[in-house]
Amino acid sequence: MAAPAGKVARGWSVLALGLRSAVPRLPGLTQVRWSRYSPEYRDPQTDKEYYRKPLAELTEEEKCEQELRKTQLIKAAPAAKTSSVFEDPVISKFINMMMKGGNKVLARSLMTQTLEAVKRKQFEKYHAASAEEQATIERNPYTIFHQALKNCEPVIGLVPILRGGHFYQVPVPLPARRRRFLAMKWMITECREKKHRRTLMPEKLSHELLEAFHNQGPVIKKKHDMHKMAEANRALAHYRWW
Amino acid sequence: MLKRVTRLVPRACQLDPGHFLHGGPQAPQSLAARLDDQVPDENPRAGSHPSEDDPAGAGEQREGRHYRIPLQDLPTVFPHGLPRRFSLQVRTFNEACLMVRRPALELLRHLDDTNFAHPAVRYVLYGEKGTGKTLSLCHVVHFCAKRDWLIVHVPDAHLWVKSSRGLLRSAYSRRRFDQPVEAANWLKSFKTANERFLSQIKIQETYMWNKRESTEKGRPLGEVVEQGLTRVKNATDAVGIVLKELKSQSCSGAFRLLVAVDGVNALWGRTTLKREDKSLMAPEELALVHSLRKMVRNDWHGGAVVLALSQTGSLFTPRMACLPQELLGKEGFDALDPFVPILVSNYSPEEFESCIQYYLENSWLQHEKAHTEEGKKELLFLSDANPGQLERLCAYL
Repeated sequence: MAAPAGKVARGWSVLALGLRSAVPRLPGLTQVRWSRYSPEYRDPQTDKEYYRKPLAELTEEEKCEQELRKTQLIKAAPAAKTSSVFEDPVISKFINMMMKGGNKVLARSLMTQTLEAVKRKQFEKYHAASAEEQATIERNPYTIFHQALKNCEPVIGLVPILRGGHFYQVPVPLPARRRRFLAMKWMITECREKKHRRTLMPEKLSHELLEAFHNQGPVIKKKHDMHKMAEANRALAHYRWW
Repeated sequence: MLKRVTRLVPRACQLDPGHFLHGGPQAPQSLAARLDDQVPDENPRAGSHPSEDDPAGAGEQREGRHYRIPLQDLPTVFPHGLPRRFSLQVRTFNEACLMVRRPALELLRHLDDTNFAHPAVRYVLYGEKGTGKTLSLCHVVHFCAKRDWLIVHVPDAHLWVKSSRGLLRSAYSRRRFDQPVEAANWLKSFKTANERFLSQIKIQETYMWNKRESTEKGRPLGEVVEQGLTRVKNATDAVGIVLKELKSQSCSGAFRLLVAVDGVNALWGRTTLKREDKSLMAPEELALVHSLRKMVRNDWHGGAVVLALSQTGSLFTPRMACLPQELLGKEGFDALDPFVPILVSNYSPEEFESCIQYYLENSWLQHEKAHTEEGKKELLFLSDANPGQLERLCAYL
């Protein structure tokens, strides 16, 4: 799982000197963010199951990889990455995006309170519902969270492209990570800005997540607005060259 | 340990406070066998299914199992409410289930065995944060309420020594201060919990509230409570009168009295209340604290006193303090001495398993990995079998 060693920027920027990157030099692409690790560093493996497999069960590739890991350099695992069975990369990313000023403790506690609030609301609905409806009510906060974010992801996005001195909003297919990022960003911004000042974040966020899970609410509306704008600017699609 | 202590009491009546050991009293087998004849046995159900509603301790088979408090009992037995997280759980599950644990069973056995001719024995529940002292106290209160005892329950004494809005100079004693709001709230809960006793108990003195109002000797106690509730300025004095009357009349044998105070270390700690000249008050200057201190003395008989220490709401105490000597201070320890210390500790492996089973039965643990052995081991590691921490962990899983 070697991630690209650095981010590249589209458009034209000043070429930085002294680059070390695995990304091939393309015209118009510039290194913007890079890591301190050189390319031979491999990512850490925190999955306990990987190490527990007995030797007999390993395939040739896995044996080869394990041999390599003995000699190759490995990056340090970030502090937030654990080998816990309850770890979820999407939740970790969301916590990082909610974090302000490096206060991970607060961001994490807000996330756990949100999950608890979602769970309690669903349990209330469950107990109030009749037997047939009980089968349809989802009580797992993690499924609700994942499904809500998936429902909020836009399929197509807009990118400003300069042509003839003017910027045009061109519809463009978004890569998966950009879609996930936009969904989370919209969710957090919606909760921070559009709600009453005195309501707490877990309450707001749980409400928004439940609405998005049912394909309703302001975040889904924002996604639909994005799709409509892309549809409206369909004529500019040929400005895209990639 | 505890057997030694109970034998010491009638033998010489000289109790050396230093010798009270802090080890959790293990119920000796012979004691349990003797008591099982007196206490009716319940039919224990398999697993951690909530058993019948009777909170009576029924021997060691019930240890680790949950028992259910009927929801209609909750407003009468606990009118001021249960601890916040537990009441959230009650609301979510639509049932109030407490785990029957060793310290509570010990206490229930002692209460069943009390000799009401002897002075009231004081039991002090102590332990680390989140181990279940308050819920054990609630278990005992429910037990006594079911047995028709008169309950004097102070849910959190810390609330009386901090952030009180209306402080008045007491009319009864110039040195002390009244707290009308807290006193009125307490009187309301007391009235709801002990409705049936208020008409039976008659007061033994005449009390003059002011030039025009007075309560004659021989009137029911309910009138004193009403007076405190209608005239909020006299509420603190009404509380003092109620406690005094209950103490003097419990010896008569008409009723059994249980005094249950949570956060009792507040009575001998420090306050954050200020006098008019902005200097901090000592707790003995508060009339409510003064009357409660008199109540937890052992100069009356006909009941028992169950107290729980609490560092969580306390003022100016270090976070790691959990022992009686640390939390009560010298003054409090001497005032409560001699008492029976009961240690409330973290879950044992069986209790932990039972707790997890209870959550799984109620589908509270929704994460798929939480059902696996790996998940359970991780929960045990993260919470260190501390009941409070486990509850908080399972809330978001």
